[in-house]
Amino acid sequence: MRTEKIANRQLLLIVYMIRSTVIIATLPVLTSADALQDAWVAAIITYAGTVVIINIIAGLGVRYPQQTLVEFAHRLLGKWPGKAVAMLVLWSFLHLVSVDIRIYGEMILSEFLTETPLVFVISTMVLLSAYAAYMGVEVIGRLADLFFPVFVLMVVASLLATTGAWRPENLQPVLARGLGPPLRASVTPIAVSAELMVLAILIPSLTQPREALKTSLVAITLASLTLVLVAAVVVATLGAEAGARSVFPFLRMIRSVGITEFLERVEAFATLAWGLGLFITVSTFMFCGARGIAQVFGVQDYRPLVLPMAVPWVVLSIHSFEDMFQLRTFFQPRIFGPYGLALILVPYGLLWAGHAFQGLLHPEKRKRL
Amino acid sequence: MFRWIRQWLRSEPPRVQEDLDLGQREALLRKTRLAENLEANLETLQKAAGNSPDLKIRRFKIRKTSAALVFFEEMVSSSTLSELLHHLQVESMKADHYRPGLDWAKDRIIDNAEISEAALLDDILSRLALGDTAVIVNGCAVALMVDTKGWETRSIIEPTAETSLRGSREGFVESLRVNLSLVRRRVRTPNLWVEKYEIGHLTRTGVAIAFIKGLASEELLAEVRSRLQRIDTDAILESGQIEEFIGDAPFSLYPTVLRTERPDRVAAAILEGRVAILTDGTPFALVVPAEFIMFLQAPDDYYEIVPIGVFIRALRGLAGLVAAFLPGVYVAALNFHPELLPTSLLIRITATREGVPFPVAFEIFFIESVFELLREAGIRLPRAIGPAISIVGALVLGEAAIRAGVVSPGAVIVVALTAIASFAVPVFSVGIVGRLVRFAIIILGAVFGLFGVQFGLLLLSIHVVSLRSFGVPYFSPLGPLVVADLKDAAIRVFTWQMVRRPKLVGAREPVRQRPGQRPRVGREGDRS
Repeated sequence: MRTEKIANRQLLLIVYMIRSTVIIATLPVLTSADALQDAWVAAIITYAGTVVIINIIAGLGVRYPQQTLVEFAHRLLGKWPGKAVAMLVLWSFLHLVSVDIRIYGEMILSEFLTETPLVFVISTMVLLSAYAAYMGVEVIGRLADLFFPVFVLMVVASLLATTGAWRPENLQPVLARGLGPPLRASVTPIAVSAELMVLAILIPSLTQPREALKTSLVAITLASLTLVLVAAVVVATLGAEAGARSVFPFLRMIRSVGITEFLERVEAFATLAWGLGLFITVSTFMFCGARGIAQVFGVQDYRPLVLPMAVPWVVLSIHSFEDMFQLRTFFQPRIFGPYGLALILVPYGLLWAGHAFQGLLHPEKRKRL
Repeated sequence: MFRWIRQWLRSEPPRVQEDLDLGQREALLRKTRLAENLEANLETLQKAAGNSPDLKIRRFKIRKTSAALVFFEEMVSSSTLSELLHHLQVESMKADHYRPGLDWAKDRIIDNAEISEAALLDDILSRLALGDTAVIVNGCAVALMVDTKGWETRSIIEPTAETSLRGSREGFVESLRVNLSLVRRRVRTPNLWVEKYEIGHLTRTGVAIAFIKGLASEELLAEVRSRLQRIDTDAILESGQIEEFIGDAPFSLYPTVLRTERPDRVAAAILEGRVAILTDGTPFALVVPAEFIMFLQAPDDYYEIVPIGVFIRALRGLAGLVAAFLPGVYVAALNFHPELLPTSLLIRITATREGVPFPVAFEIFFIESVFELLREAGIRLPRAIGPAISIVGALVLGEAAIRAGVVSPGAVIVVALTAIASFAVPVFSVGIVGRLVRFAIIILGAVFGLFGVQFGLLLLSIHVVSLRSFGVPYFSPLGPLVVADLKDAAIRVFTWQMVRRPKLVGAREPVRQRPGQRPRVGREGDRS
């Protein structure tokens, strides 16, 4: 069987879309954690934090360019501890992305299909993504190529559409209460970057795996730029209080403005962008999840695992939370912060320790890699 | 029992019998050879062809030896035939080096370009069916097959399914030989190679692949050859059947093989490093590999000036989207998201829908079906009645339906727009797909709103990007993105800017022309 490869450009687009979608979805956490008008400062701090995390994740990945996380965990930590660490990472894929889907489902229900059951929206999205994951990583890469221009166009158009309603004074005063509130607000978005652990599975599928760190840094930089812009524009348009209170500030912002008499409601486009981004996210994670599980249990082909895996995805997505408010509570910095950071730091702390230990034991082996 | 079998085995030598089944007959013909006796041979041939009235035998004498010409009526040109007869009878009298046998005739007498010998009944008869004439001489167990092809062909006319405003007016015809000459007249390099195959053991259809040696990649050629040779069937009547045998995705709605009846299109494809497959008996040639974007391109794009080319391409892409999605979006918007429409427009639409007894989805579905029916009826009707039907259908029916309040004008506008858009897609085989997709999108939009339309869009996207046509990703250069090939995708650049061939098919010789040929009038002083 031919091994499927994706270009580094495609990884860049995938990571960008994963990150931007999460941002649009979890935007309220930036403002709700009382950063208020300094949401964009929080976004910049988030960028700094994400850069550190990406160095932790991809930095180890490029040292083992031919191996996925499951394989090098096995090698660094031994058979059973390695499997345990890999399962922890795979759990984070499952949990974080099921939360993403839930937020999207809630958005569709509250804004468009008010009488449709949640399970329908969620399972539709998961099944579609399962189909893409089943077709393989090449197909996901091509879809990213295809959707990226649409995605960017929609986001840029949504931002430009609001120009008339910007109130720059909403952004003042800058850092009135010091750096504390924005720092607290950036904890959750940084913790959400645990999602970037997909890189650890995707790196061996790249055409130039050694460049992965650079590629993902570019993607993160672009995504963070988007985040800073979106955060600033939302606050400038809606005002800090309204931005913090609303459930989907991005949509609310677009809805609040009418460009002309004729083009009043353009939030359908933003929703489409969100849908495309989420679809890329979920299919990437399903692919990586299935691939990871297959490697943990020594199954040759990941494909038969994709469809059964869709089931826990849907179930977890529906039953984790009662409603949107529980979800928002979950994203509070003091709850999600430690959880998300633990999801990254525990496995990667162990892996880096293993890596350093291996280096001490066999310095000559490390050079050969 | 055994004795009976032994007897049966030892019984008569094979001869053409009446009561054999097809497979046995074919096997028999393949091993029956000519005998020495002329009359016996003629009888065998006639019997093998079932005394068909169009199998003609002309007996004559060469000096003292009796001989005969055997041919199928109307397959041969009568002037070539009488010339052949003249040579055989008269020249053989003159020539002083006559000796029995056939070599002298082959070497000295017959001046036709193509001559060969055949001894097997099967060979002889299939060559006769190609328009050859068999010269059989008493005392010889081989027949001389002389090329006397001369059947009627349709003259070269403008292709009806693929017209263009500017560009060649020639279209392929049903004869493979004429079609090959049409291609070779456009691409004169000796590196235009043609390989011939015979497919279908009853129809024995000639199939030729044409490519530029050294430009088309060898893996592609090997793939095309092996897929063609794998076909084992009794009949190929049209290239569509070959398409089904060799296509990459038989269950897909989307064609992965381009069919065209324009020689200039085939020539352009060959010049990019693709392979053309021409089939005898049909004016439709196949081109592989075929990407999706090729189905949205028309020769006119390249012959008109660039801004026009870019504009009509963009328009066509938009038309393709409209043709597939507009009715679905309309239904979804009216059913689920009326707040998305501008208020004044929404009021207009609801006002005209006042009193219409059907839900929007049914209305659209109904008119779409009527329209498809009209279109189908329009194709089958005789030319003279066609316009009448379209007037009755479009004007009378539409107008009356609106007057009667059965359907709303909005729905009719949407369906009419969709229909016009679907005709803007230049290749028919993709145009039809749009029609099928449209119905699916209408259902999705009616049941799940815009979310359903998005579902359809995503599902289609996953499907098309996962397709490949002879190893080339179907949706390139958009997914996967091939930046270098965007120059000829949604837009097109100037001809002098197309320095490189398409990256995925023309990679063997990437450079097409010298770069920097932008016309610079007067600057280089060549006018002085």
